[in-house]
Amino acid sequence: MTGDTLVVFTPLAATFPTSNYATPDLRNNHPVLDFDGATDEEAYFEGVLPAHYNGGSLVIDLYVALTSATTGSFRFQTDVERMNDGGPDLDADSFSGSFQSAGGSASATSGIPTKISITHTTAQIDSLAANEPFRLKVRRDADGTSGTDDIATDAELVRIVVREA
Amino acid sequence: MAVLSDPDRLSILKRFAEQLSALRVVFNLSKPDLQAAVNAIDAWADSNQAAFNTAIPLPARTALTTKQKLQILYYVLSRRYEVEP
Repeated sequence: MTGDTLVVFTPLAATFPTSNYATPDLRNNHPVLDFDGATDEEAYFEGVLPAHYNGGSLVIDLYVALTSATTGSFRFQTDVERMNDGGPDLDADSFSGSFQSAGGSASATSGIPTKISITHTTAQIDSLAANEPFRLKVRRDADGTSGTDDIATDAELVRIVVREA
Repeated sequence: MAVLSDPDRLSILKRFAEQLSALRVVFNLSKPDLQAAVNAIDAWADSNQAAFNTAIPLPARTALTTKQKLQILYYVLSRRYEVEP
């Protein structure tokens, strides 16, 4: 139902593309994923949408700290790959192609995370249903294709919360 | 030698930002402003090549290749960077 937390991912759950991937790091023993400031980098997260998902839009909350910046704007994008029964061949990526985006502003203290929320309609998640496996792709839009990202240094992904809108 | 290509100049920005990030040094210059600084420094190096060459005394000026002169310049700048407080 609306507002339900559906899935939580920590940086330790990430899998990676073969190039331009986010880099695992530690910040005061918190696992984080470093996303470069100049090149778009990505990480994947594999999960299952729980049974109590009610068919609404998904909101993906990204908790992001900055390594060095205390001013400026950053930008992230997400996409979802439905992995249903009889669905896509694992030998090829099958993300919906509907990258959704949102931006955030650097906290005045670099270690304090900022939450940005990215909403996907059911069409933008290929009608992913309850109890179905899926893969979430998270990308920092460092080159600012979808909006302003003017922070040159790394962004650190701390946590992902997927909830129903 | 002409000015560096845009990808080369971007790689300098990226390398600089990666080192700041690794050290978590507070840094708030925006990407466009940092890139402008990189570009300006490269353009300055390009436009002052003749003066750099003239500053090298003979016979080194003629004995050293361009690559060797750049290598010495690189070592001088690296050491100056290291001793800079």
